[in-house]
Amino acid sequence: MPQTKQKKLEARVEPTYMKRIHFLKQRVLDTQPEMDLENARLLTKGFREAEGEPLVMRKARAFRNQCCEKTIKIWDEELIVGCSGSKIRAGILCADSCWSVLDKELDTISSRKYDPFNLKPEDRFAFEEEIRPYWKGRSNYEEWLAQIPDETRVLRDNGVVYIDRKAVRGWGETTAGYEWLIKEGLEGIILSIKERKSKLDLTKPGDFEKDYYLKSLLIAADGIARNAERYAEEADKLAAAEDNPRRKKELIEIAEVCRRVPMKPARTFREALQSLYFYQTMIFMEQNAASYNPGRMDQYLWPFYKADIDAGRITPEQAQELLDCLWIKFSEPCLFQDAQTAEFAAGYPMFQNVCAGGVDEAGKDAVNDLSYMILQATMDVQLYQPSLSVRYSVSKNPNSFLRKVVELIRLGTGFPAFHNDDIGIAMLMNKGVPLREAYNWNPCGCVETNLEGRMRQYTALADINLGSMVEFTLLNGINRKSGLIISERTGEPKEFTSFDQFLQAVKSQIAYATRAVIAGSHVIDEIGLNRPVPALSLTFRDCIENAKDYAWGGAKYNVGNGIILIGVADLINSITAVKYLVYDQKLVPMEQLIEALDHDFCGYEEIRKLCLEAPKYGNDDPYADEIAGEIFTYIADEIERYESKFGKMTPGILPVSGNTPFGLEVGALPSGRKAWQPLADGVSPSGGTDLNGPSAVIKSVAHIPHGRFVQGTLLNMKVEPAMLKTENGITQLMALLKSLCSLGVFHVQFNVIDQETLINAQREPEKYKGLLVRVAGYTAYFVELGKDVQDEIIGRTVQHGISTG
Amino acid sequence: MKDTLKKKHLKGNIIRIERSSIHDGQGLRTVIFLKGCQLSCPWCSTPESQSFEFEKGYDQRLCTACGRCIESCPENAITLSDDGLGVITDRDKCVGCFRCFEVCQANAVKKYGFTMTVDDLMKEISKDEIFYFHSGGGITLSGGEPLCQPDFCAALLEKCKINGIHTALESSLYTPYSSLDTVLPWLDHLYADLKHMDNQMHTLWVGASNQTTLDNLIKADQTSYHFGEIIRIPLIPGYNDTDSNLAATLGFCTKLKKIKEIELLPYHRLGSDTYRLLGLDYRCRDLLPPSEEHVKERAEFMNSLLTGIPIRSGSEIT
Repeated sequence: MPQTKQKKLEARVEPTYMKRIHFLKQRVLDTQPEMDLENARLLTKGFREAEGEPLVMRKARAFRNQCCEKTIKIWDEELIVGCSGSKIRAGILCADSCWSVLDKELDTISSRKYDPFNLKPEDRFAFEEEIRPYWKGRSNYEEWLAQIPDETRVLRDNGVVYIDRKAVRGWGETTAGYEWLIKEGLEGIILSIKERKSKLDLTKPGDFEKDYYLKSLLIAADGIARNAERYAEEADKLAAAEDNPRRKKELIEIAEVCRRVPMKPARTFREALQSLYFYQTMIFMEQNAASYNPGRMDQYLWPFYKADIDAGRITPEQAQELLDCLWIKFSEPCLFQDAQTAEFAAGYPMFQNVCAGGVDEAGKDAVNDLSYMILQATMDVQLYQPSLSVRYSVSKNPNSFLRKVVELIRLGTGFPAFHNDDIGIAMLMNKGVPLREAYNWNPCGCVETNLEGRMRQYTALADINLGSMVEFTLLNGINRKSGLIISERTGEPKEFTSFDQFLQAVKSQIAYATRAVIAGSHVIDEIGLNRPVPALSLTFRDCIENAKDYAWGGAKYNVGNGIILIGVADLINSITAVKYLVYDQKLVPMEQLIEALDHDFCGYEEIRKLCLEAPKYGNDDPYADEIAGEIFTYIADEIERYESKFGKMTPGILPVSGNTPFGLEVGALPSGRKAWQPLADGVSPSGGTDLNGPSAVIKSVAHIPHGRFVQGTLLNMKVEPAMLKTENGITQLMALLKSLCSLGVFHVQFNVIDQETLINAQREPEKYKGLLVRVAGYTAYFVELGKDVQDEIIGRTVQHGISTG
Repeated sequence: MKDTLKKKHLKGNIIRIERSSIHDGQGLRTVIFLKGCQLSCPWCSTPESQSFEFEKGYDQRLCTACGRCIESCPENAITLSDDGLGVITDRDKCVGCFRCFEVCQANAVKKYGFTMTVDDLMKEISKDEIFYFHSGGGITLSGGEPLCQPDFCAALLEKCKINGIHTALESSLYTPYSSLDTVLPWLDHLYADLKHMDNQMHTLWVGASNQTTLDNLIKADQTSYHFGEIIRIPLIPGYNDTDSNLAATLGFCTKLKKIKEIELLPYHRLGSDTYRLLGLDYRCRDLLPPSEEHVKERAEFMNSLLTGIPIRSGSEIT
């Protein structure tokens, strides 16, 4: 089954297990997401009952209360079971951290533009009658609104920074210690807690706090165990009532598995998967948040899979079916976030990042049969979760693995996120992790970096709008949209006598925004101390050893929060255009450029043309790329200068969809971009400006010092299906990916330009102005081609030949 | 030393440079299209490659009729069209100063052709060295007819070869043998186009005899240089896709010692836009490209002749 040998492109005969997978998948697709307030209600009840106890004890008791009283459901045809709430596809509310988010959206949540959730009357009733009255004035979000520093607030309110994300949901952005739980079971973890607890001396200052903290862990563990038992009971009940002998047998097996894990060590591949998923639902229930990352499943599940295969307990097909079933489960839950945050990251983005490939803890090739099966699961299921990543080690991983990656890219789902292993390792080391452990890094959320069961941070605490940095520089600290002076006065640009002065002003603006974000980050760190997570902390060995919660810095490695830069290409292209037009070529005086921008280029078409023709990032042009290198080295230096109580602050470049809302806050830019348009995404070139093909894009992107942006860098590339139609094309994409790694670029993901896109572009050319395609030896804007040539290109998305260029 | 300096500063006339191409030779390649060709095949997909002069293209669909080009033209060669929606260039008056290209705001005026030295082109080529390394790629000189600029090609190919970059050249071989001989020492792969084996047909369509091409190929084949030959047949429906022509081509190829394979390149119309922009008549306007099945069937027919020469067709690159 796992294709360890190279296989030619041919239609794959669909295995019989896919019948179940199609059924489960269809159910996910057919179910509209709802709000599910059952567990917020149960949490509230639990907090009430534990009043008077320390916060973490109350959280643990309330958590156990949720486990003991929540609705338990096993849906038809499932093999892997579990759910954080009572509904199959729902958003849950983290009442203790951010109840008030829903309060503002009670009337709109069912119909809002991004990520609507259907709110049923009974849920609304529970919210208004039980949840709101108890939590009013007590949530972390309200603390944040009360404490946000003034200058941070002003920048936030003007769309220069986005920093509410962590106040409107829970932790997430972490990789729990799944491996420890699966291998030793809760019973092993409980044993460690008890041992640690037995060493305490309650007459010693500090040990009392440790004692009740460890007690809270035991309560959380008990809750997790109780949840699984209740699934076993439910499976028994369903089995007794089931007439279909096949399903009856399956339900009996489910009961057996749930009776075993996660309490006891998993013995089989199936038990390992179930143990993992139970825990996944539990930590998500504990705090609604994106990016609880299962991480390197091909590594920690491998011993279970291999033992099953060796003992003849399972066939590869059966294992694939189980893995596919788990993949469906990953797609069921929906992240609940406020309307604004949803705009920055739309699509109910759970970001449960699963990873395959890379090297092992000795730095050797770690690819195994499961690595291929994990890719196959995404090929089988083709849903939006899990967020599938690969770590690709150019020197160690085999070509057959890379080929399987390209076969998945061909499907056009946008998966996998391709990560350069060497840079991932470097990033972890730059976070302060020694090489031996850095070898075990895993992608987190979008493209951030993490380390299983050992690392604490907010990987993407706040976003900085780099378009605004250019605007502030040109307007001497004034925000164009509001007309207010809200940033540093860096001088009137027309008085700058050299490019260096201009660049220095840009840097000062970036420094100012960075300071405002750091100040806000410190406030959030303090507030975060009031959101302990005993269920999550259970699988962090150091949280037990230190008797200190994840939220309090109990993990082995504590890292300063991530600061994310958005509008990379806009910043580079704008600085480049100013250098080129104003200072080097002297084609446009600064006053005129500013005047043109003031008018959004209306009546200044000639200046706009010059702006658009200035060198652009993404074309392997040293003129622009050297500026990229300089400014992003500066930004990394600047962010790393700051420490939080948890560690050095960390930069990253990963807009999920934040480049669009940020663009709405930024007027025309010297890059030639018109006002209020989306900014460029990630480290990608601005749409339609990369005219020299993929190698040139990669060369430009390589000028950013990726290893220093330790919360990852994100590159989106478009690929035409024609490239992936043939064996030759697949081989060349593999070579392209290897070259990308050799050049030190961290990440790439591919969007395949499908036939539908081209047909739409033909119909509505205005919307697809930047769409580039290859025509007989050159790159052209699709919408500028004649209809006959367009038709021919549309045709080649299904039929392909060597062009006679 | 003096010789090296001279080579560095040799200049070539180029239409464009295409990076990471996967169509003209092995691996990821930088394809350099040189300007000028003595032939003008009716199916040519790069009509801008035919003239040795730099050319002006004009796209009325993009033109806003702003009049900037009319004002800029020192020869008064440009006038507003009758409907007022575009401009008309009197190509007889035009001296090719490209002032109109410089002032056009709408990208409606294109300029085909520019000059580069060997040295500058090498810088461009070197940018993709890592991609060549991982893919086994390199450079391909194409056109136009690259061998119309033999010294430039030879200097460039030599530079690549000694720096470990794989080299290929695509040619009609309709050139003096001496031009071909100049580049052979530095060549890894020679792509030769054989359009028709019947000299009458060849002359009728292409406007020149095929004898020079065939003689040059035989002569090159007999040299002691270590390069491989790939024969390309542009598959033009109703012209050269007959059993007899394909069999004759194959028969000729069996005489070549250095042959590696034959590629069937199906005729396509992606160049039709460029004819429009250049104001040239596209003589193949009504010719439909061959179906994928037809190309496959033609490849199978050639394979059935069991010459042992691999046949690749556009739809099944392996």
